[in-house]
Amino acid sequence: MLTVSVKWQKEVFKAVEIDTSQPPYVFKCQLFDLTGVPPERQKIMVKGGLLKDDADWSTVGVKQGQKLMMMGTADEIVKAPEKGPVFMEDLPEEELVVSLGHSAGLFNLGNTCYMNSTVQCLHSVPELKSALVKYSHSGRSNDLDQTSHMLTVATRDLFSELDKSVKPVAPMQFWMVLRKKYPQFGQLHNGVFMQQDAEECWTQLLYTLSQSLRSPGSSENLDTVKDLFGIELASRIHCQESGEESSETESVYSLKCHISQEVNHLHEGLKHGLKSELEKASPALGRSAIYLKESRINGLPRYLTIQFVRFFWKRESNQKAKILRKVDYPLELDVYDLCSDELRKQLEGPRQFLRDEEGKKLGLKANEKSSGTKDDDVKMTDAEGSSNASAEPSATTPQEGVPSDKESHLTGIYDLVAVLTHKGRSADSGHYVAWVKQESGKWIEFDDDNPIPQREEDIVKLSGGGDWHMAYICMYKARTIAM
Amino acid sequence: MSDPKSGAGTSQTKAPPKDHKKKDEKKDEDLSEEDLALKQQLELYVERVQDPDPGLQKVALESMRQEIRTSTSSMTSVPKPLKFLRPHYGTLKAFYETMPESDLKKYLADILSVLALTMSAEGERESLKYRLLGSEGDIGLWGHEYVRNLAGEIAQEYMKRQSEEAPIEDLMELVQQIVAFHMKHNAEPEAVDLLMEVEDLDLLVEHVDSTNFRRTCLYLTSAARYLPGPDDMLVLDIAYTIYLKFEEYANALQIALFLDNLQHVRQVFESCDDLLRKKQFCYILARHGIAFELDDEMCAEDSDREFLQDIINNAKLSEGYLTLARDIEVMEPKSPEDIYKAHLLDGRASAGASVDSARQNLAATFVNAFVNAGFGQDKLMTVPPDSSSGGSSGNWLFKNKEHGKTSAAASLGMILLWDVDSGLAQIDKYFHSNDNHVIAGALLGVGIVNCSVNNDCDPALALLSEYIGKEDSSIRIGAIMGLGIAYAGAQNEQIRSSLTPILNDAKAPLDVIAFTAISLGLIYVGSCNEEVAQAIIIALMDRSDSEFGEPLTRLLPLGLGLLYLGKQESVEATAEVSKTFNEKIRKYCDMTLLSCAYAGTGNVLKVQNLLGHCAQHLEKGETHQGPAVLGIAMVAMGEELGLEMSIRSLEHLLQYGEQNIRRAVPLALGLLCISNPKVNVMDTLSRLSHDTDSEVAMAAVISLGLIGSGTNNARIAGMLRNLSSYYYKDASLLFCVRIAQGLVHLGKGLLTLNPYHSDRFLLSPTALAGLVTMLHACLDMKAIILGKYHYVLYFLVLAMQPRMLMTVDENLKPLSVPVRVGQAVDVVGQAGRPKTITGFQTHSTPVLLAAGDRAELATEKYIPLSPILEGHVILKENPDYREDS
Repeated sequence: MLTVSVKWQKEVFKAVEIDTSQPPYVFKCQLFDLTGVPPERQKIMVKGGLLKDDADWSTVGVKQGQKLMMMGTADEIVKAPEKGPVFMEDLPEEELVVSLGHSAGLFNLGNTCYMNSTVQCLHSVPELKSALVKYSHSGRSNDLDQTSHMLTVATRDLFSELDKSVKPVAPMQFWMVLRKKYPQFGQLHNGVFMQQDAEECWTQLLYTLSQSLRSPGSSENLDTVKDLFGIELASRIHCQESGEESSETESVYSLKCHISQEVNHLHEGLKHGLKSELEKASPALGRSAIYLKESRINGLPRYLTIQFVRFFWKRESNQKAKILRKVDYPLELDVYDLCSDELRKQLEGPRQFLRDEEGKKLGLKANEKSSGTKDDDVKMTDAEGSSNASAEPSATTPQEGVPSDKESHLTGIYDLVAVLTHKGRSADSGHYVAWVKQESGKWIEFDDDNPIPQREEDIVKLSGGGDWHMAYICMYKARTIAM
Repeated sequence: MSDPKSGAGTSQTKAPPKDHKKKDEKKDEDLSEEDLALKQQLELYVERVQDPDPGLQKVALESMRQEIRTSTSSMTSVPKPLKFLRPHYGTLKAFYETMPESDLKKYLADILSVLALTMSAEGERESLKYRLLGSEGDIGLWGHEYVRNLAGEIAQEYMKRQSEEAPIEDLMELVQQIVAFHMKHNAEPEAVDLLMEVEDLDLLVEHVDSTNFRRTCLYLTSAARYLPGPDDMLVLDIAYTIYLKFEEYANALQIALFLDNLQHVRQVFESCDDLLRKKQFCYILARHGIAFELDDEMCAEDSDREFLQDIINNAKLSEGYLTLARDIEVMEPKSPEDIYKAHLLDGRASAGASVDSARQNLAATFVNAFVNAGFGQDKLMTVPPDSSSGGSSGNWLFKNKEHGKTSAAASLGMILLWDVDSGLAQIDKYFHSNDNHVIAGALLGVGIVNCSVNNDCDPALALLSEYIGKEDSSIRIGAIMGLGIAYAGAQNEQIRSSLTPILNDAKAPLDVIAFTAISLGLIYVGSCNEEVAQAIIIALMDRSDSEFGEPLTRLLPLGLGLLYLGKQESVEATAEVSKTFNEKIRKYCDMTLLSCAYAGTGNVLKVQNLLGHCAQHLEKGETHQGPAVLGIAMVAMGEELGLEMSIRSLEHLLQYGEQNIRRAVPLALGLLCISNPKVNVMDTLSRLSHDTDSEVAMAAVISLGLIGSGTNNARIAGMLRNLSSYYYKDASLLFCVRIAQGLVHLGKGLLTLNPYHSDRFLLSPTALAGLVTMLHACLDMKAIILGKYHYVLYFLVLAMQPRMLMTVDENLKPLSVPVRVGQAVDVVGQAGRPKTITGFQTHSTPVLLAAGDRAELATEKYIPLSPILEGHVILKENPDYREDS
């Protein structure tokens, strides 16, 4: 009989007897009584080796009083879970997009950043996407020319490809068709394609889409693009000299923000842009006279496009030069005071409703707070509430996303969803980048093939005044309410 | 001559005469009356000396002597009597030649010898000449400057006579006198310098006494770094002898360890008979990480010996570390998210948290392991399954993919580092898994738990050796790497005999062979073991042509190199053999062997050699420049000046080098400043972390982690956080950023990776080996770290040590005392009792020590048993202490 001490974890069992006539398995059973570790899970270490169940004690060479070490636990053995986790690395590309939270970038095919950023901005309009999906090859109406049709198809395909892939997409087909349709984009300079004005591309593309996406079959002759982007303007043309006055209405796809010395803010620019002077023949005076044209918005779109008139033709240098002036623009734009009186009346109701809703939220919050804290906190909660409200839209937009919902009403309040910026000194040079708000509320900077997440507060910093990217086209989405 | 001070000293004595000559003539007129009187007096003496009457002569000489000796003007200007006697030097010299042999002639020789101090032309050594002709009286009577000058001339004369093979007995006699004088007058460096010049350091031992041996030894040990071999060894030997003579055993032990002379270590143990001090020695040995067995000659009492051996085996390391952690209040486990601090970043943080990324989970596994290393608890692996958080260990393990599970299971070993008992208990359950990757991880984990801890029962050996011969190569690698980590430096015969056959097994896959070579290299680090070397050489020769292109092949030469780590010339035979290797690996092997053999020596010639290799612009396909760049860092890291210089040279390589060099430069910088975040290096690495070459960027990011490892450095942490958002979509770089973040918070800031300890004097070979292995693997980041061999990161565990000062009482229980911690100041050769630290703060132990910090006791109540306050230090009550009333 030998006695040894056995160390197990932090415990030491002193004077454990070994019956050397029995196989070590018996010894393990002894230890099972002491530790509760089943013999088959015991590992007993004897001087750099493991004790085997059927070993002979004489060959193991255990000495009286020796310290043995036992390893083993009665713990449950870890088993792999039935369903292993799914790893991002194993996902097919389509699903990866969902987890990524934003769509793919577009490769620059040689000075095509103007096109890429335009596509990225327009791609962020879900209604346009769904309208394109409905557009089919056969649905081509006879009055549409071949190239317009091809461009529409190419746009549709490019949009769906963007939604599906994680890796950047090369818009080859689209680029070719665009050049075919609008040969001016195919201009070469020193053998390479020239940089173009993104605004031109934007306008032309929208024009084509507006042509092709008319659904001729329906009685209303619905124009999707117009419905989405069209702005009705009512203008009063007034000649100061003769006192003549006339009015006219027109539909445009974008508002211009004129930039002059006094303009520091988008709002001022817009007001400026809606007033213009023109010279035309005055029937009363029998000569050409200066007419003052004042426009008011008569119909609001779902997506309000605003172009900053940053470029002007500079004759000396023979290029489109850029105004670098800083013009601030808000994340939330209210165009109420640019609207005509009739429209204002229409907006009155929904706006009141919206105010009430917000007030309710605020009041609720204020109540909650004041019940716990003192009255003098109310002011602060007010401020908090308003900041909350401005952060809210991202959460509320999805419910309003349903187009042509009869019950949704425009409020004249718009939220910024996309910014197309330009960096550089003239329209035909420099670099265009699209900054697009995703459905998740995150902002992504699409710098050609490279999508980069950005913070919302950095988006309003693209207002110019330096050589950094500055907003050229802003796209606002209407905040609607269901009533 | 290596010491700049003595060189400057001799030149100073020669410079003044030139300046003075011009002034002398002008000044002659406007001398004060007193000076004029002195001048006339001296001129009178000069005349008298030439008087034929011996009596007069004698009186004149005596008076002249008197004048000179009493002139106590400052050292900076020439003493007045000397100045006034100067015009008569020639006259006296001429007269001396005419004098007959007599005592008087000797007297005159003495005076001429002194006058020659300022008069003698450069290289004439007249001072020495007349000294030898003179009366051989007490040398110190003529003042300190005279002795210094004489010492300088002796050095020159000695060189001349050595080349002429002339006898030197007369010189040596003078040397004796000078050394005795210097040693008595706080000029130990001068004495040492002189003795080094005349190559007779042994003389020093007779002259040191209890008042000056410390300063002498300090000078000797610091000078050793700048001496060419074998002088450096000689110098250290003398220092060792002196320490032993004055029973400063702890110091002697440190020198013995520096010399890697186990015979000396034995001697220290045998000479000392104080058990408490022996315990302290054991702590020093344990920190150094060498295997050392005590026998009954070193400690007679069995129970005591066992106790001491336990300290050497680091059995209580975990306990001490946890005491420190509790004192600093960092026991709370941290999750990887606590380290990433994503909330401090803007909206860029990963968008889709809904889907797990295997790569990112693996990174989290490593971060978790590094951050919670040694604490025994974490939030991913050790959470009990019944906890409500749902993060049961099994679950996290299976959130890793395939080989990722290996690292995850092994991370448990890291979390329970040094705590063998509970570590094995926790890892046990994974042994019964049916997933080979998990078993491999469990094996590796056992190795990691046992890293730098030895246990009588050798649990690691018992468990792992079972698996070495298994079918599955991942299990084999786990077991082999585990053995390498657990027994690094142990030189265990049993492991060698079971591992070497694998090397030469034709059927074994390359990765198994590569890891076997590394493990053997680690186990036999710095041993120059012939058999292991042979086995690896044969394995290298057996490789087929295609295998030389494999990324893991690089580990074979490294395994060979580790055998000769720091062994300098001993590598030469093997280096010769390596010339016969396949040309694809030949140069790689060459560089690796060279850099390993001279690692930590600061050998300037080797650094130049390696730089030379880096300067070549190569044809395609050669890979040896990577190890050459690392080699520069390995060699130069030995000593502060060389380190600074090589940081600058690396900057040049960055600008002019090819891509494969640029990729290695960040890693080299990481090694040079390991756990020592120097601002300039941090900036360089930060710049490189945005390099257009992604591999340069990856290496820079990892190196940012290395230089900040265990420091919690806020600046690096901030940089890495920004990098994590910058590289948020580049999975590979993000992985590197995560690893680096984990390293910066290594052990929540309680650990260091620095292989140097004991005031940067000693280099732990196993720690360096671990670092170098990991860095060599990083040379091919994509294939190894980002491939399926990411667990090579665990080699860092070899270098992980608590950066603490823990004071314990005579029963080895923690004892809190006030200590001053501040920047270390180099006090070598400074006069008096200079302050050894600057900008200090007073804390009470246990405290953390940053790179370059030094601690000293702020109380007289205790006496530390170790001269250097690092790691565990035993305090003894000061018997002379009286409480201030």
